[in-house]
Amino acid sequence: MRLMVLVGVCGLAGPAAAQQVAVEEFTLPNGMQFLLVPRTDQPNVVSAGWVARVGSVNERPGITGISHFFEHMMFKGTNTIGTGDPDKDRTFRVEQKKVRDRINQIVWTEQYERYRLGEIDDPWDPANDTPQLRSLRSKLDTLIRAQQGRGEAGPATATIVKDEFDQVYTKAGGSGMNAFTSYDLTCYFITVPSNKLELWAWMESDRLNDSVFREFYSERDVVHEERRLRTDSTPTGRFQEQFNSMFWASCGYSWPVIGWPSDLNSYTFEQAQTYWNTYYRPGNLFGVIVGDFDPKQAKAFIKEYFSRLDPGSNKPPPVVTLEVEQLAEQRMNAVGDFPPSIEVRYHTVPAGHADSYPLDMLAEVLNERTGRLYTTMVEGRGIAATASASSDTRKYAGLFSFDATTRGAATPELLEQAWYEELARLQTEEVPERELRKVKNRVAASNYRRLENNMSLLIQLAFYETLLDWREINEMPAKYEAVTAADIKRVAKAYFDETNRSVAIYRRAESEQAAAAVEEAGQ
Amino acid sequence: MSKSMSMRTFLGVQTGWLVVVAASLLSATAAEAIPPRPEAIEFQPLAYTPPKAADLRKTLPDGTVVYAAESHEFPLIDLTITFKGGDSLDPPELPGLASMMARLVREGGTAELGPAEFDETLDFLATNVSVSASTTFTTARLNALADNFDESLKLFVAMLKAPAFDQQRLDVAKARLVESLKQRNDNASSILAREWKAMLYGRSHFEASQPTETSVLAIGREQLQQIHDRIIHPGNMIVAVSGDFETDAMLKKLAAAFAGWERGPAAAAPVAPTATLAPGLYHVPKDIPQGKVVLGKRAISRDDPDAIPLELLNEILGAGGFTSRLMQKVRSNEGLAYSVRSILSERVDYPGAFQATFESKNPTVALATQIVMDEIKAIRQQPVTDEELETAKQGLIETFPRQFESKPRTLAVFVNDEWTGRPADYWQTYREKVRAVTKDDLLRVAKKHLDPTQMAILVVGDWEAIAPGDLEKRASMQEFFGGKVEHLPLRDPLTLEPLPAE
Repeated sequence: MRLMVLVGVCGLAGPAAAQQVAVEEFTLPNGMQFLLVPRTDQPNVVSAGWVARVGSVNERPGITGISHFFEHMMFKGTNTIGTGDPDKDRTFRVEQKKVRDRINQIVWTEQYERYRLGEIDDPWDPANDTPQLRSLRSKLDTLIRAQQGRGEAGPATATIVKDEFDQVYTKAGGSGMNAFTSYDLTCYFITVPSNKLELWAWMESDRLNDSVFREFYSERDVVHEERRLRTDSTPTGRFQEQFNSMFWASCGYSWPVIGWPSDLNSYTFEQAQTYWNTYYRPGNLFGVIVGDFDPKQAKAFIKEYFSRLDPGSNKPPPVVTLEVEQLAEQRMNAVGDFPPSIEVRYHTVPAGHADSYPLDMLAEVLNERTGRLYTTMVEGRGIAATASASSDTRKYAGLFSFDATTRGAATPELLEQAWYEELARLQTEEVPERELRKVKNRVAASNYRRLENNMSLLIQLAFYETLLDWREINEMPAKYEAVTAADIKRVAKAYFDETNRSVAIYRRAESEQAAAAVEEAGQ
Repeated sequence: MSKSMSMRTFLGVQTGWLVVVAASLLSATAAEAIPPRPEAIEFQPLAYTPPKAADLRKTLPDGTVVYAAESHEFPLIDLTITFKGGDSLDPPELPGLASMMARLVREGGTAELGPAEFDETLDFLATNVSVSASTTFTTARLNALADNFDESLKLFVAMLKAPAFDQQRLDVAKARLVESLKQRNDNASSILAREWKAMLYGRSHFEASQPTETSVLAIGREQLQQIHDRIIHPGNMIVAVSGDFETDAMLKKLAAAFAGWERGPAAAAPVAPTATLAPGLYHVPKDIPQGKVVLGKRAISRDDPDAIPLELLNEILGAGGFTSRLMQKVRSNEGLAYSVRSILSERVDYPGAFQATFESKNPTVALATQIVMDEIKAIRQQPVTDEELETAKQGLIETFPRQFESKPRTLAVFVNDEWTGRPADYWQTYREKVRAVTKDDLLRVAKKHLDPTQMAILVVGDWEAIAPGDLEKRASMQEFFGGKVEHLPLRDPLTLEPLPAE
């Protein structure tokens, strides 16, 4: 959790009454829990969503990214939505599975061996296909096209009704339908007109009850494009991924949420089935509804529709791998199309840990226009164009990071030194009373601001309930108000050792022309 | 704080127990009760009447228009002042001047308080203040706890009325802006957006013109003061205020706060661009594994009679998310892109643009482009289906209340309508106008406004990897405009002068 989603109290001197979010909690016999927050300031609309308590941290090498891939699968329909002929459609899926299993077997053995021996550069690239693979791939493509009604026989063979899930909601006035996957959770949400809450219950319980993982193979191309878009084609995407993997040694935060490309190609239907039966059972799910609705009626809909979910028998296994202690500083030097900049990152504590509150306040003292980083680095010394700190506490571990970009002739190393000086000040001097009060006032006011929007409240409840307990949204204000200057000084000393840090230095690649100009000037 | 959300206490254990009992009684019949398909559900009708601007519109004694809406759920007050004119008023040699002025109004202190003291005072009050300029408007926003509103309002008006434009703060802002200019070519998407606007509106029009290092360094306090005096005054502003207050008391407060602030004339309307888009295929180099594409042309202005049919057509073609044709064909069927959509960019004073945009791995850029072009051609040849039109209409009609879902949003709509002269009954009759559109209307506007031969295609990426097309030879860049491509240079991030090809 980050402090930008803080709850608090307002007033200029000390705590006043905290704003409480009135949540009605409610659990079905099958174990699915619901959080209901009726409110009327935004009339006629309801934001509704549900969370699977699973994210990339629950994965392992070989299936990295499967949580995110599932998020895509959940929009592909059921035996009712997304097909006009469920039986024929199943036949297509079974046929596709046979071919794809064969392709995977060949790639994992023959192509991986050719790759190991240095004969090909990428075992998954179709350009490196053997004739047998090429023919299997074309067979799979034919099956996919026929299922979509784009094959040689034309639309007649289609069993898919394309994106029907979205069409039903669109027609009913649903908007902002989406989902996200993070390290610790997967969340699906939409805003519907107030009279369509029953439709939400129908649609969501249907896909939780009966998803068939349609387009299990073709959808991977979309995820590859998503990876190219978010990671490979952004200036720092792949470097940040590398830094992240370097930072976390053993725990499940070390791989990217979107997964490694080879794993993305490799998921099997059986793995998906096991994952589904383990993590998408009602005992591992909860719903959140915020907006203009009648809670009595909402509960009736929930009972009517979500009671059909089978509790299953696979209990999600505990996440057992703890992050090992870092023994020595780690450094990464990156060169590319980005401004000279630096990130310094430290291992800290998970969400809810007593030290997470002073760590969040420490970040607040550093941040914003009147915070220490801006006033010293950006304005005072004029060495940074931007500078910020953040405390990111997740379910199983946490991190604190300092980020800054250079200004003018300043180097990343200069910013690094400036950061250590700021840190030393926090470690030796207590934050003055007025400065701490100012930060607490700001944090307190953000309580109200962040509650104003239904969807933003839904997302916050999703995070709190997954990481700790939804009640944290009401209990946090007092915890932040209670943080003292001595607490901040103590955590500043406890977590920011040299051996606990990882440093990423980013430098701009000199263009060939610029390099030539420098060379010429030197001659 | 007095009107906080009512607090209810639920003891988890007790509630849970009650639920168990109730649910087990229901479970025997629940399975049969579920309708087989969502269409079988009967919904209660939702009567919705959009708010009327006139009900919220007030006038101060000096003539200043204030839209006010009370909302007592949270102890917050949000005050937004919208001034006419933004970078549309920049002198040609100083693009971005209005934006810099807005920034320095916020950052540069007031007549009474130095910038650091001003910031500290606001921060201690937990008040958020921001000022920003877009192309055609400048907006100042104050968000304060109700208890701190009076003190915050004084600071806010003092800042707008007589900003000090502190020289040191100006120097820092200019230096930071120059640092961000250096990043202009780092991201392919920003290159695409910049070059596309230049193609659509002309590089020197305010829609497309961009600051350079030289122009940023040329900005001084005098220029800031000049453009400030043109934009920031009561003769050129409309106020919107929502939150925890009583309207009559608020109007008195505002009248007192604005007293003595000199009124000038309203700013001039934005000048229409004179450039015209030259159809063709264009490319800007960038070494990335995925090509970024935008294609389209100038279309219509906001108040054109074809606006609603074209909006519906655009929903069906590429704006309607997964339900749209482009998403289904390019992403869902072929897996060629993660995001693909079409956009109508709305302009009031001159025609905006229609454009489709997507990205794909280098070898399939041509294939994705071909599919998008084919879909544009198809929607001009065959009428859309009844079902498509019905879905699009229902979508617009059913989501219509979201336009007014919160008080600040409602007021923002009315302020914009007043500044841009939208008819007063526009929203009252919006749903009827949508309902009246026919398939023939859509075909007619598609033919009239989406002629692909008049479009340009802009690709940012690695041309050598993109041009030959996909492995299966389904498409190559030869397909478009006879394969004739104009290679546009990447531009120096600080001077915007063309860079020689590397």
